[in-house]
Amino acid sequence: MTGLLALPTLHDILGFVLRIITSRTFLEVIIFPGFLNVMLGAAFLTWFERKVIARVQLRIGPLYAGMSGILQPIADGVKLMFKEMIFPELADMKLLMACALGLMLVAAAPVIVIPFGEGWVIANMDAGLIFVFAVISLFPSLILLIGWGSNSKYSFLGALRSLFQQVAYEIPMWLSVLGIVMLTGTLNLTEIVLAQQRVWFIVPQILGFAVFFTAVLAELERIPFDLPEAETELVMGWMTELSGVAFMLGFLAMYTKLYLMSALITALFLGGWSGPSILPQPVWFLIKTFLVAAVIVIIRGTFPRVRVDILLRAGWSKLLLIALANVFVTVIIIWLGFGSMWGI
Amino acid sequence: MISGLVVASAIYALEAHELVYGAVGLAISLIGVAGLFVLLGADYLAIFQVAVYVGAVVVLIMFTIMLVRRERGEPLEVEEPIRLGRAGIYVAVMVALAVAAAMVLIVPVSVEAPEFYRPPIRELASSLSASHAVALVVLGFLIVATVVGGLTLAKVEREERSGGAA
Repeated sequence: MTGLLALPTLHDILGFVLRIITSRTFLEVIIFPGFLNVMLGAAFLTWFERKVIARVQLRIGPLYAGMSGILQPIADGVKLMFKEMIFPELADMKLLMACALGLMLVAAAPVIVIPFGEGWVIANMDAGLIFVFAVISLFPSLILLIGWGSNSKYSFLGALRSLFQQVAYEIPMWLSVLGIVMLTGTLNLTEIVLAQQRVWFIVPQILGFAVFFTAVLAELERIPFDLPEAETELVMGWMTELSGVAFMLGFLAMYTKLYLMSALITALFLGGWSGPSILPQPVWFLIKTFLVAAVIVIIRGTFPRVRVDILLRAGWSKLLLIALANVFVTVIIIWLGFGSMWGI
Repeated sequence: MISGLVVASAIYALEAHELVYGAVGLAISLIGVAGLFVLLGADYLAIFQVAVYVGAVVVLIMFTIMLVRRERGEPLEVEEPIRLGRAGIYVAVMVALAVAAAMVLIVPVSVEAPEFYRPPIRELASSLSASHAVALVVLGFLIVATVVGGLTLAKVEREERSGGAA
């Protein structure tokens, strides 16, 4: 008889599991800046937005769920999970649910490359910046599928409007960061943040910042680029026929996008995690991210909606020109020799 | 495994009765191709594959499918493929599997993973703009010509249609 089979003992299994749990990668992916961070950030942003919008509109916002309504997102989530999922008879249930899930996955994907602190990044990709943009370009197809699968003229129209809008603003978005890439010579987000240690990129790239901010507002379908949602016209645009869990996924996906895009703006233009060392780096990053999110939310409460043809024309022609002007300004800056401030 | 996904979703894209599902199969297939690019060490190419193909081309295809007018509630007519055609696909897949199995089992076992070269992006950029600059410029002009041609064709069509309707 041969020797006993070497079954792993309970001690071995426990050791293995403990080593995985306490490993840095697990910590990063699951807790911060990964899954838990994204989920908490998106949920917090729903509360944050409702409070800020309420104050802008001279009311108070969520008040009863927990202290100052902070548990409101949890209440909303639980309610939506228990709601019955009602779909129209001819709507494609499988497609809608699959695409809602896909929407949430695609919205959360950029967190992989965004550095929340020095070393606090899940995957330090050399092409991190364009990874984020490539992931963003996946949204129009998912939205189109949801609008189509809803089997409703109005949802489909909302999806088409959203598609046109997002595709139109993708190019200014890509071009507006060209100045930053020229100044740092890398697409790696960690290196871009490191290059801003002396002067934040919002200063030389003010035009690029303006274009990027506007393009992000359009990609997020926030007011003033609200037409796909148009709460007084299309009910909820392409999300009209989603209900229950599918709606929760779509709704959370929008706020996840908002959170991660604000984080991206912070990393690209506002110096990422740099700040006096009384607070740890990720805290600075989060403070700046929520500042950007606050500005976006206040804009929502302040501006009227932009008409669709003006919206599209602005995206294709005017923003493109401003982005190109930004590139010229950057070339002049480098030629004048100021590039050494950022490591050229 | 990824190549299996690519082939499987491509076959599904061709065989699906509902055209929109076919477009989704195409998207999955192209994302699988991007995965293959990553495994081969070309991550920059993989990112652009996703951005251009899945982000733009698939959207265009879906857009076209969805805007073709059709009877209410009826899927677009897909011709039933002839028995021979479908059988042909299966035979081809079987042959490929058999050849792969034979190669794996019969050829001597000492195969070492070929070392692949993962060019850093800087090197890619410098070689593109230095030694291949002419090709880049020619490509740019080609794309401009295509866009201008497309716009002209669209304009001519619109004039013809409005001229006929008047």
